Amino acid sequence: MKKALSFALSALMTLTMVGCGAGSSKKSDSDFQYITDKGKMIVGITDYAPMDYKDDDGNWTGFDAEFAQAVGKKMGVDVEFMEINWDNKFLELNAKSIDCVWNGMTITEEVTKNTSCSKAYVKNEQVVVMKSDKISSFKDAESMKTLKFCAESGSAGESAAKDAGFDVTAVSAQSDALMEVASGSVDACVIDGTMAAAMTGEGTSYTDLASSIVLTTEEYGVGFRKDSDMTEKFNTYMDELKADGTLTDLAEKYELSLAD
Amino acid sequence: MEKFLSVTLDLAKGFGTTLQIFGLTLLFALPIGLIISFGSMSKFRPLRWLVRIFVWIIRGTPLMLQLIVIYYGPGLIFHWDLMPRFTAVMVAFVINYSCYFSEIFRGGIESVPKGQYEAGQVLGMTKSQIFFKVILLQVIKKIVPPMSNEIITLVKDTSLARIISVYEVIWNAQVYIKLDGLIWPLFYTGAFYLLFSGILTILFNLIEKKMNYFRG
Repeated sequence: MKKALSFALSALMTLTMVGCGAGSSKKSDSDFQYITDKGKMIVGITDYAPMDYKDDDGNWTGFDAEFAQAVGKKMGVDVEFMEINWDNKFLELNAKSIDCVWNGMTITEEVTKNTSCSKAYVKNEQVVVMKSDKISSFKDAESMKTLKFCAESGSAGESAAKDAGFDVTAVSAQSDALMEVASGSVDACVIDGTMAAAMTGEGTSYTDLASSIVLTTEEYGVGFRKDSDMTEKFNTYMDELKADGTLTDLAEKYELSLAD
Repeated sequence: MEKFLSVTLDLAKGFGTTLQIFGLTLLFALPIGLIISFGSMSKFRPLRWLVRIFVWIIRGTPLMLQLIVIYYGPGLIFHWDLMPRFTAVMVAFVINYSCYFSEIFRGGIESVPKGQYEAGQVLGMTKSQIFFKVILLQVIKKIVPPMSNEIITLVKDTSLARIISVYEVIWNAQVYIKLDGLIWPLFYTGAFYLLFSGILTILFNLIEKKMNYFRG
């Protein structure tokens, strides 16, 4: 009895360790080849209007979603959107559970260190958002130093706020940052200009919030795996889509400004 | 009101995933936990130490880290294809909870007085007869309270699945914060957890009562 159990247990433990290895794939040097062989490109996103969000039928849409579909068409592959935990984006990319990070991602040092990043496709600004009745009392960054700020942990907004010398509390999402301001737990937050425009003011959930000054400007890029040949292919596709007017139309539709 | 209904439905859908993780984890972790407990009490020393070190590693590291290692690890380290997200969650939860359960089983089994084994032997019973006919029921009675504790913890630990993007009830609630600026769905998830752990508590009380007919 004991012996049989010991054996069963050892076998079980070996299986657990080996079992994970089943179905390992052949490796190809070309990432582009890998994706086209698979027949689909898995795009890592979050729910982030106006870049990627669900329409009434539950399908992903938005500037990045439509842009990705257009690129997928050019590559001849299906595009699958995978909603990921943003903190794990580089893990997801390297473990190949997604093929690119494409979600209004600001090109920062962190991004260029961890991915092979495309050329910039959209320009964005980091803006200060506060209650609209306070805006007139704080005209520049210097006067805001007495205020309490929050920003998404690890975001471009957080570094902009830190660089400006603000007292910043990190929260887990830009939308949480807005909520903090609305609830009064902080005085202001630093978030993407595109998001601030979409989520504050008349007709939104945050009617009494508004954008104040612009802290920094930045650009969005698409992150591929390090040393991937997809980046170069993508840049070519992007130039083509720019030339035929597809991107300009999209930018107009979603009220964004294309990068130069 | 309409919003409340649609949120309730959406959260209930997420809670379905939560219940799946919960049910499957129990289904696999209980028997595997028993096997591991035998390993950790084995007279064969290398096996005993191997199992105890394994249990130490699993109990000594956060479940969140284990989820990340089990899901991303194979792809990052060995360039293997990844298993589906839900499978990774199940593997991590089953391993983790088996280890916790194994210690509860061990405590229960070791608390049965040696005299009972000796009595069984005198009566000419085999080792497995003694275990299944004499010891096991006493063990079950003894481990119901610590087990119910661990199982109720499991209900809430399922919320970690969202770390590797398995959409359970809290993920679904956080979507409302991101999209609509609605905070209450997040607090509302508490009602789902409370209701379910309430049912479990009643169930465990019933089991304890049922077990009262003999004194271990």
